[in-house]
Amino acid sequence: MCGLYIHIPFCISKCHYCDFYSLVAAPAVVDRYVDALLAEADSYGGGSFATLYIGGGTPSLLGPASLEKLVNGLSRRFDLGHLQEASIEVNPESATRDFLQAAYSLGIRRLSIGAQSLNDEELRKAGRAHSRQQVLDAIDTASRSGFENISADVMIGLPGQTAHSLAGTLNILTGAGIGHVSAYCLSIEEGTAFYRSPPPDLPGEDDQAGLFQTAVDMLAAHGLAHYEISNFALPGRQCLHNLNYWRGGDYTGLGPAAASHGGGKRYRNAPCLEKYLDDPLSVREGEERLDGHHKAGEEAILRLRLLEEGLDIKEMAVRYGQDPVTSLEARLDRLVRRKMLLRDGHIFRLPPGGVLTSNQVFIDVIA
Amino acid sequence: MNNIRNFSIIAHIDHGKSTLADRILEMTGMVRKTSMDQMLDSMDLERERGITIKAKSVRIPYKSADGNAYLLNLIDTPGHVDFSYEVSRSLKACEGAVLLVDATQGVEAQTIANANLALDAGLKIIPVINKIDLPNAMLDDCSLQLYTMLGLGIEDILLVSAKDGRGVAELLEAIVERIPPPSGSSSDPLKCLIFDSFYDPYRGVIPHLRIFSGQITSGDRIMLKSSEKVFEIEEVGYFSLGLARTEVLQAGEVGYAVALIRNAGEIHVGDTIVSADHPEVPAIPGFRMSQPMVYCGVYPIITSDYAKLGAALEKFKLNDSSVVFEKENSAALGYGYRMGFLGMLHMEIALERLKREHEQDIIATMPSVIYRVFRKDGEVLMLDNPSKFPPEGEIDHIEEPVIRTRIIVPSDYVGPCMELSDAKRGVLVGIEHPDDRRAILVYDLPLADMITDFYDRLKSVSRGYASMDYEMNGYRAGDLVKVDILVNNASVDALSYIAPKEGAAVRGRALIHKLSKTIPKHLFKIPLQAAIGSQVIAREDIFPRRKDVLAKCYGGDITRKRKLLEKQKEGKKKMKMVGFVEVPQEAFLSLMKIED
Repeated sequence: MCGLYIHIPFCISKCHYCDFYSLVAAPAVVDRYVDALLAEADSYGGGSFATLYIGGGTPSLLGPASLEKLVNGLSRRFDLGHLQEASIEVNPESATRDFLQAAYSLGIRRLSIGAQSLNDEELRKAGRAHSRQQVLDAIDTASRSGFENISADVMIGLPGQTAHSLAGTLNILTGAGIGHVSAYCLSIEEGTAFYRSPPPDLPGEDDQAGLFQTAVDMLAAHGLAHYEISNFALPGRQCLHNLNYWRGGDYTGLGPAAASHGGGKRYRNAPCLEKYLDDPLSVREGEERLDGHHKAGEEAILRLRLLEEGLDIKEMAVRYGQDPVTSLEARLDRLVRRKMLLRDGHIFRLPPGGVLTSNQVFIDVIA
Repeated sequence: MNNIRNFSIIAHIDHGKSTLADRILEMTGMVRKTSMDQMLDSMDLERERGITIKAKSVRIPYKSADGNAYLLNLIDTPGHVDFSYEVSRSLKACEGAVLLVDATQGVEAQTIANANLALDAGLKIIPVINKIDLPNAMLDDCSLQLYTMLGLGIEDILLVSAKDGRGVAELLEAIVERIPPPSGSSSDPLKCLIFDSFYDPYRGVIPHLRIFSGQITSGDRIMLKSSEKVFEIEEVGYFSLGLARTEVLQAGEVGYAVALIRNAGEIHVGDTIVSADHPEVPAIPGFRMSQPMVYCGVYPIITSDYAKLGAALEKFKLNDSSVVFEKENSAALGYGYRMGFLGMLHMEIALERLKREHEQDIIATMPSVIYRVFRKDGEVLMLDNPSKFPPEGEIDHIEEPVIRTRIIVPSDYVGPCMELSDAKRGVLVGIEHPDDRRAILVYDLPLADMITDFYDRLKSVSRGYASMDYEMNGYRAGDLVKVDILVNNASVDALSYIAPKEGAAVRGRALIHKLSKTIPKHLFKIPLQAAIGSQVIAREDIFPRRKDVLAKCYGGDITRKRKLLEKQKEGKKKMKMVGFVEVPQEAFLSLMKIED
């Protein structure tokens, strides 16, 4: 299984917490950008993919015409006839009826809405460009356009957020038919507005932990299982494209700042739109190939993110051979003895209470 | 013998001693110009710190202005107060000393200390003002200080720039004119002084010698006065830029002897070598075994590296016989060693060399002095490790070592320096005013306070202008208590320390606070306590880590986030497991850096 990721690095403004690669761009640039993406796609000389994910940034800023040009262009260059899933991210303020209908008619069936919160005060403080009502309208428009598989991003630990307001956000989202939630703990990254001037009502580490637990409990009550550290889904609504990342699968990423994994190596494009527009093939960098021990360790920390599925040590032995996996298993068993991991036959899993401190476990899992 | 001159260069640290030695070697043709800087310092670390740790010497052929040929033996001396005994032994091997003063700094504490050592040894002193090339040179001030503070004649002072070579030719002439040749007869029985030694892996310990009477040649049987051990000489020679073998060393000469001495512990600086045929020849006065002043525990970070550390220490001691070490074990840190050093600088350099040259991953515990503990039952214990102290109830009282320190400081900074010395439990012995701009403060100060951060603080409160020197000055009773540190409810023996009772709580709180910032959060709560006996004097908790998670981990994040974890993992490797708590190396030295 192989995934195709397309990065759309445009946003209408920068959110206060965001350190992702995105730019505020003019429409003329958007058109040139699609051409550049297709030129990069050409360089692969074909390929077959099981999932397609158009993310960002804000893919809904492409508009219907550019989206059509992009998807059709990709279809001509790659074999997308056997896609099991096609997703696109949208932001509420640019999720117009035209755009959503265009996406649906192009075969995209999974939508990920950047909601973050349904509390207007929280949205404003976080620098989001939309209101609570715009989120609800976007969900409504999406349903009317035919989308049944809709995911929402929700932030944990926004300035001013309380367990009460978070519960409200989650209740309304699930009530509106959202079957998948990505809930991210806010972290203050260098280079963001929040880093430069931290808001006074930012929930602390302990508060964040409490809020996260509220989200876990609320979503479980609505039938959304906690299937990955930050992801929750109704049965059958897990994101296949992302599952592939956590199972150590191959993927191809197009666009500046996009990363790829294939043939045992990882590489990425530099986050520079200008250079990319000039020559999409000039920005590739950071090629990395790990030895068996480190590769097995890397895949182990990815698979342990899958809380239900866990890490199957037998399957790892098939992929990496006896040597790296014997030492990996010894490290995992040591963590089991310290009650930081659970072992059930040949499956290792994070314990339910260990999700928020999983880095402490992963440090001892990697080679 | 009349054409031999044995001399040292002595100076306060950084006054240009090594540069002058280089220039002398250059101008006498021993080395080509700029071929190598600072010939006499051969250890990397010395170069880096700009100080000479091990004394070395070199024989320099010199033709004077009147056409006579001389042999100058330049005996280098260590340039720090920790090594004052070694300095005194090197000076003992000389008839004269060049006393160097930095023209921009003037006479400083170690200038006086070194000058006094030279005068005690009866040496002819040639006062030299160095760095006269600098625009801010204060020639008149320096001359006056040499006169008023040391009683040296202003007309005798030479002006030199070791950097550009000015005045060095005149200095060489002064050395042959003013310093007397050695006395003593080669036909008398052998008597020579060991003033240094080094270790050669093939030939054993090689002592540096000054022959006072008699002569020494291969095949001679010699005796060490201190141990009465007898060895047979295999080779003798003198120091050129390396070792230069020769037939015989005669009275007045400086050189080395190879005698297959395998054990570095046999050779002590200051010991006298005599002929085994004339064991009755008296020893040269002033010998003492080097006495460690400061002790600390040294432990491998990885417990199983204990044997490797032991082997490294054995090897280390071959080149530095003044360190002592013995096995010890700590409940918290496992098996390790207790090491003793001549002073703080000696300790810092030795630990650094263990890490760097011997590649040992070690944790050093808080340095401690030797306390004299009087038990109620009348027994007196000499203890250098707080964890070995008897329970508080069994102690009658404790005495601690005291130093007498001489601090030279510009008048403007006398106030802050006195405040600092008072805060460090110093007792003022006297104040002198050698001129109207500077004062000399003489304090008796507990050694324990000196070895924490006294010198750094002194430099800081005087904006770098104060200089100091010290000597040991016996023991005095102190109102001292042992403070235990409990991490996660278990006492960590390697963290306990001895402190004055007054202010113990304040200091304990500061230390606990420091530790709470040094030890990272764990997944469980860690109480930290400081206690005297069963009485807790300070407490703080490190609250458990509630959140340490990579929330988003998609295709583009994997490499970067894996590298973040790898970095955290590297950091973890540098910590010591104490029970279930990971304690970083620096925690064991926390107490040293506490601001009062």
